[in-house]
Formats: sequence, C-alpha cells, structure tokens
Amino acid sequence: MKTTLKTPLNAWHAGHGGQMVEFGGWDMPIQYEQGIVQEHLLTRKGAGLFDVSHMGRFAIRGDDALAFLQHVLTNNAAALEVEESQYTLIPNEQGGAIDDAYLYRFDADEFLLVVNASNRDKDWQHLQAQLTKFSMVEIIDQTDVLAMISLQGPKSKQIMLNLIGNGPLPEPMRNQLGRTIINGTAVKIARTGYTGEPICFELFVDRNAVIDLWEAIIAQGAHPVGLGARDTLRLEAGLPLYGHELGEDPEGKEIPIFASSLARFAVSLSDLKANFIGRTALEKQFKAFKRIVNRDFTLIADLPRRILAVALTEKGIARAGYPVFREGKLVGHMTSGTMVPFWEYEGVGIASQRTDKQNRRAIGLALLNSDLYEGDALEVEIRGKLVRAVIVPYHLRSEAPPNARAIPWDRIQMEKAVTIDKQTSRKVTTLLTKAIDNTSWRQERCINLIPSEQTSSTMARLLSIMDPVGRYAEHKPVAAFSDDNVFYYQGTEFIAEVEALLEAELVQFLGCVDVETRLVSGQMANMALFSALVDYINRSDRKREQRRIRKVMNNHIIKGGHLSAQPMGALRDFVARDPKTEKPATINFPVLEHNPFKIDVAACEALIAEHRPELIILGKSMTIHTEPVAAIRQFVDAQGLDCVIMYDMAHVLGLVGPYFQEPFKEGADIVTGSTHKTYFGTQRGIIGSNYAETDPRHELWDAIQRRAFPGSVSNHHLGTLLGLLLAAYEMNHFKDTYQQNVLANAKAFARALSDCGLEVAGDADIDFTETHQVILNVGYAKGPEFAQRLEENNIIVNYQATPLEEGFTASGSLRIGVQEMTRFGMTPKHFQTLAQLFCDVIKKDIFVKDQVVALRQKFLNMQYCFTEQQFEEQVQKLHTFFH
Amino acid sequence: MKEISELNFPKELRYAEDHEWTKPQGDTVVVGISDYAQDQLGDIVFVELPQVGDTLAKGGEFGTVESVKAVSELYMPVGGEIVAVNTALEDSPELVNNEPYTGGWMIEVKVPDAGEMDALMARDAYLEFLKG
Repeated sequence: MKTTLKTPLNAWHAGHGGQMVEFGGWDMPIQYEQGIVQEHLLTRKGAGLFDVSHMGRFAIRGDDALAFLQHVLTNNAAALEVEESQYTLIPNEQGGAIDDAYLYRFDADEFLLVVNASNRDKDWQHLQAQLTKFSMVEIIDQTDVLAMISLQGPKSKQIMLNLIGNGPLPEPMRNQLGRTIINGTAVKIARTGYTGEPICFELFVDRNAVIDLWEAIIAQGAHPVGLGARDTLRLEAGLPLYGHELGEDPEGKEIPIFASSLARFAVSLSDLKANFIGRTALEKQFKAFKRIVNRDFTLIADLPRRILAVALTEKGIARAGYPVFREGKLVGHMTSGTMVPFWEYEGVGIASQRTDKQNRRAIGLALLNSDLYEGDALEVEIRGKLVRAVIVPYHLRSEAPPNARAIPWDRIQMEKAVTIDKQTSRKVTTLLTKAIDNTSWRQERCINLIPSEQTSSTMARLLSIMDPVGRYAEHKPVAAFSDDNVFYYQGTEFIAEVEALLEAELVQFLGCVDVETRLVSGQMANMALFSALVDYINRSDRKREQRRIRKVMNNHIIKGGHLSAQPMGALRDFVARDPKTEKPATINFPVLEHNPFKIDVAACEALIAEHRPELIILGKSMTIHTEPVAAIRQFVDAQGLDCVIMYDMAHVLGLVGPYFQEPFKEGADIVTGSTHKTYFGTQRGIIGSNYAETDPRHELWDAIQRRAFPGSVSNHHLGTLLGLLLAAYEMNHFKDTYQQNVLANAKAFARALSDCGLEVAGDADIDFTETHQVILNVGYAKGPEFAQRLEENNIIVNYQATPLEEGFTASGSLRIGVQEMTRFGMTPKHFQTLAQLFCDVIKKDIFVKDQVVALRQKFLNMQYCFTEQQFEEQVQKLHTFFH
Repeated sequence: MKEISELNFPKELRYAEDHEWTKPQGDTVVVGISDYAQDQLGDIVFVELPQVGDTLAKGGEFGTVESVKAVSELYMPVGGEIVAVNTALEDSPELVNNEPYTGGWMIEVKVPDAGEMDALMARDAYLEFLKG
C-alpha cells in the first residue's frame, strides 16, 4: 500500500487550519479556515498563495533533450528562448492526452517539465519508455528536491517587489521567466499560473527554503489557498483539468486534444517536430477543427465534440457528468461545474472598479457536439430536472491587468444604445453648439499636453478648407514620358504645383533625396513603406507567392514602440512567420537595465549579427531619447547586411535638426513621419528616402511611390495637402527657435516636476529628456485615474504603460508633450508654473481648474507662424469664402 | 473543520441521524441542519427547497443543500405538509453556515403524527451519536 506523500509545507498547512485530503497520492489542503468561497474571492481581490509542490517536476538535459521533447510533447520546444515557457501536452498515438503540462526553459541547456500530481508515475513511465529512442538525454525527477508555490492576484506584484528589493522581475508578459534572490535564497520565477489572474508568479525553490519563502509571502499579506479554490479559479478561467476536460470524458471515451480550446496554442505541427507521437491523429483533428471554425461539418467525425464554456441561466448548479440537451436531444455532458463566487464591478470601461459586493453564479465547462456555438441555448439535466443554460465564449477575462474580471453570461456585451434625434434642426443645432463648445474648451481653456497632437496655424487651417478639399488629383510617373507625372483629372494644375513645392520643402527640411507626400497618416506611411519593401524584395519573381520580409528589428510596444511597427499593428501582413517560433519574425531592440527607455546599443551588434534583419525600424511613440541611427548603420555596414534602416519619426519629425538628430546624416535609408505632432502640419504622413538615383536600391523608392498611389490612396486629401505646404514654409522658417524652445521647455518641465517631488522617467543628468516628451510615473495602474483627474482640471495628457507594466489598463505613467503649448508661446518659466499645478492635482488632489484656465488664457496667440498682419489682405479674402 | 466540542447544539432541539434538527412550534415543526452538518459541508452555495403545500413522508427527500464540492440530500425528520420555506436562502445560502439554527432554518412542517418527534434524538444523544 502506498503511503500518502507530503510536500515540505504539509505541517504548515495542518498547523494553520488546513483541511487535509488525499489528492493524487498527496496529503494536501482542500481549504483553510476561511473556506473555498473566501479563498477564491481573496485571490481575485488581493493575492492567493498555493502550494503546488505535489505536481511532478522533471528536469531534462542532454544534447538530444530538444529532439526528445519535440517527440514526446505537442508544442514546439524549439520556439522557447531562454527564460520562456509554454503550455504543452504529453500526447498518445491516438491524439489524446496522457497529461497536460508546462515546459520551462530557465537555462540554455536544461528544460523543466511540470506535470499533474495524479499522473506523475504514469508520465514518468511513458517518458522512460520513449527515452530508449534517444541516446543523449537524461530525465531527473526533481519533485522531491525542488519545491513549487504559486502566487496569484492583483496584489501579488507588489508582494514580489517588496520581497526582491531592487531585483528584477521577469518581463511583464505571460510565460516569461527570471531568477532572483529572496532573503538569500535563489528563486526561479515564472509569470505563469492556473487561475486566469494576469498578475501571476510561480516560484521554484529548493525544498529546504520553501517554508521560509512561503511564510515571507504570507507575512506580506498573501492568503493561503487550498485545492478547492484552485479548482474554482481555474474553472472560472476556462482552463482544463486532466480527468475532466482531458483524458476520459464522462462516457469513458478518450477526449481528443483538439477538443480543448487551448490546443491551438499547445499543439504545433511544425516540421521541427518531425513525426512526433500523435502527429497523424492530431493533424486529422486539426483539419476537422479548421473546418468546424468555418461551420463546415464534413470532417466532424474526426472531432465530434469540443469543450465549451456553459453558464446556467436559471437556478441550480451544473456539475461534472450531468447530461446536456439542446432542443430535446442529448448533445454532451458537463465536464466540470459548480457555483463560483465573483466580485461585482461598477462603472464603465477603464474606469470600472471592483465593488465589495460578492455574488455567485453556476458555471462550467462541457464536452458538446462540435456543431454548437456561443449563444446556443441548452438544458442541463440536474437530478431529473432540465435547467436552462447557454454557451458563452468565456466566464472571465484577463486582458485588463491588474485584475481578472468575471463576465456573467448576461453581461458579455454592453451595447450602448445611440438614439437618433428625429428632429433635424434640433440635431444640427446640437452638433454645431457642441462643436463650438468643444473647440472653445480645447483651444481657449485647456492646457494641451498630448505628445502626438498639435494645433495648426489659422492660415494652414483656412487653406485646408479651400476648394481642393473636395477634389481629386491622382497622378503617376510614366516612363514613356520620361517619368513625368500624368494626372488623371482636370483642374489640377494648382494642386500639382503645390505638391511639387511641398516635396521640395520637405526634401530641404529632412536633407534627403525624395519625399512621398500622398499618405494621409503616419501609420499609412509605414504601411506603404512595408508594402513597398515586400514589392521590392520580390521584384525578380512576380509569378510566385510574394515572400514577406524575412526578419524585422523593432522597438517592442511595451518599450514604447509604435503600433505600426508591431505584428499586431501595421506590420502584420508584411512580416514573415519565423519557422522556429511559429510567430511573426521580429526581434526587439534590447534596452538598458537601468533605463528601459534607452536602447542598449552594445547589445544590438550581436543581435543584428545573429538575426540579420531585412528591415530595422527605429522610432517610438513613447520616446525621451534620440535613436542610435549612426551606431546601427555602422553595425549593418560592418556585417555587409542587405538591410533597410528606417526611422519612424512620427513624434519627432518637427525636431529634425542639430538640436535633436539628423537621421539621414547618421545613415538612415528611410524616414517616415506624421506631419502633425512636433511638425506644424495638418494631419498627414510622409516618407523620405535617401536612395540616390544611381543607387540600385532606388527601385525601392519607385515601389514606395507605387504603394502610395495606387497602393494606399486613391484620393490623397488635397485640403490637408494644401495646408501642409503652408506648414512646411512655417517649419522651415521658424524651426531654429522652435526646436530649441521645445527641447528647453521639455527639460524645464521635467526638472520642475521632479523638483516638486514627482517621479519623472529618464536620466536626471540630462534633465530627463532629449525630446518633446516627459514621462511621469504615477504608480502602478494609477495612470488612467490621474489622467482623468487632470482632465477634470483642464490639463490634457494621456496614460501610458511603462516597460514594466503588463498592459495599458495597468498603466502607471502619464505621457506629456510640450510641443503644442510651446507653439502657443509658453516658455520654461511658464512650464514651471504648470509643474506646480500638476503637483497640486496629483499629490494633493486640489482642484486647480480656474488657475489652469487663467494660465491658458495668456497663451491664445500662436507663435512660430506668419502673423495675419503681414498677410492681412489675403487672409481676409480667405475668410470671405465662408459666408 | 471544527472539533465536536467547538460546535453548537441547542438543548431544546431534537436531531435526526441525517443531521437535520427539529423545533416544535405549536402544531408545526421548523427544520434545518445542525452545526455539525454545515461545518462538514463547508461553504454552502445553493439550497433547493420544496414548494409550500407539498406533503412528504418521514425519510423522504425534501431538497438538497450544495457546497462548492458536493451535493447533499435533505431528508424529512418527520412527515407532514410543508407550510413555509425560508426564501432568504435563495440569495443568502451562507445563512445555513452562519446561523444554522436561526436565519438558516429551512422548512416548516405541519406534523400530523407527533409521535415521530419522539424517535428523534435529544441533544445529548446526538452528541454521543456524533462522537461514536
């Protein structure tokens, strides 16, 4: 008879009110004195601490370790970089699960596989049997020497920070790993968990150190949580439990791996996995799955049922094993289910807050026929009675850190009803009145500090609404006419000249060979550039499927990179998949440990050599430093790389010059930009190219023009084009003083904010910033609240997540730009006054709106533009067109 | 879970082997579950009770009490007609845990055969039963 095993914390649990039960061969706490319901709620509200040392932990080492893991696991182990982990399954040849597991790569030469306690022996036997196919692999069972505990919940991050002092946490993304020292003990940390909490840490430590670590975490305010709440938490998160959603179904049949919604992430059919165990069966299941997603049921026999989330819509509790019906027919069974508590939230959107009100709901997971979908009504048979239920897409959402939020079935989508006023004159009056109020508010009573915004001069704005605003002027260079532009419309002589003059002004401003001006936004400019690069790299073969850009180096969005440069943004359809990681082939700029806003230039050299990118995108939307264009150019040239170095100057275009940087002089090939942030313009985008006519790469410029028109635009918004020419004149005329004053104001503001006790990001030695931006840290997840408070005081900034935060809802900083108010004439001493008002609002919660309005009223006249007195007669004439 | 000595069993009630308690109230009897039962069950999250007007025999199932982990049937300690049910348990099932003898009462039964009460255990007998 086997004795029940005990984790190193067993005596602690028993001595602290733990109700001990047998689980998978181990003596474990099912709950403590507070009970399952409270333990669940305390995890969602604060931090729950779980002893998971009963789970199996196997170390896998050796030259063949990777090949072995590719063979016995479903996921692509080759995709794991050091300090990454992945969810995976141990498959059998039939495409069912022997177990589900997590694979961690803390070190380059060792993997750690964590498996379910109840399957540890079975998994061990299976892996041992598979080892015979490989020679240089060893597996070591570390379950007894390495302890594992899990800390989950919104307060868990602060607890970890308190314990590690100045040590680093792993990168703020799920599955990232790291190591640290806590009270002298080495601890491995994983941002993983089984609760659906976005702020989550699983900790691995020597068994002799776990009790002290556990007690230190409890002392910081974490609540011990037993297996009972562990199950309700994972159920709410929709996570599978072996024996319920994997393994045998309630009718005793094996559940195919693809029945689980996580299979899409956990199963890889990469060539790097050769003919791994279960491959054939899984390929069949995947094929059926893809068709089912398309509501095509021709292969439903290969995946007859899937695991779906189910919520009861009337009273009762649906539990594992209960049959499920739809329109009188049996369609499956519950695999898990119970009554789960949750916190009520009040408020709308990002302002929504957790209340102290607890509620309960009967939810579960069920294995149901594959032709059922979200929204389908069901009936669950509970002790002979049919109780109504519905299929829901999820029970809980984790994408708004720091909290996981319960989404009850009747609150899945909050549709805001917009009522249309039937009385036309009233709705027109309302619109006009509100537009007037809004303009008056922003232009006369607010201090506008959003870094991506600007007000253009009256003259530029008037020009933007002159006749061209309703016209077309499509044009293309035609080789038959020596590359002269052919215009497709009539009446275009004026605007054609405007466009040519604009190009000339921008060429002079940027110091490059060519500028494309037809794009209507910065992101569109980036997309046109990406599209042109794809066009260019395929120029020798137009018959085959056009290949994508092989590898792109960029600033990650977490580190301030713009959306355009991310695979989730504009880059998506232009970057290739990396066959090793099965993800978009991007490599991010490394940053300095002590200043995550600055690129670690030294570390770039090796990365560029290793990854050999085809496109390097410099530039960020959260930016306080220059970009290392010259250094990157040097690395690229030294390695003889065929690579396009692009600088997305969206934010800093207006600063191009000796006081900031001159990218083309430093060696950039391409510059893209928004014309409406630090640059004076109307809202448009441009692409500057430095390829000389004689450069073979000049064909890329030709491609840029084609992908601008007809690739991106048909009508290229001639109104703002006309306004932009005037803005370009202003820019070239006033840039010297403007640029110096923007930078001086930013530094003065940053210094003043810091002096009054606020935490300003960046290097204090250089007065924090080299751009128009100032970044203010206001506390983890406090950004939205302070941005709202400032808006109530007529100061407009935006909240932003720093490189340490898990997502924009957990934003801990405010992003500020001085460019617009500089244009209205504010100087360093005024920014010092403004800093004091900031302090009053943020530190003391004083209402200072009247003072803010008074300050703004001193700066209603735009500087750095041609005053109307000079051009009075013509400006009057412009006005007359609008009565 | 608590030791028996830490639990509470009012002297004036009578108890069934299935851990229901009864309290005579004129010609009706109020029924609930004992402190021992609620402690064993853990957090109670759902209670299903019969309809007013139902008539059930002694030993018949009159409902269920559910915790996160398990379902427990409730059995009539005495037979009769259900004249009242505690509707508060619908929104606050935790009353059974927190006030098993007062706010957590479950049903009120009109008992035709008062002799059935004698078959139930007095407090001390129930304590012996629990310890044994």
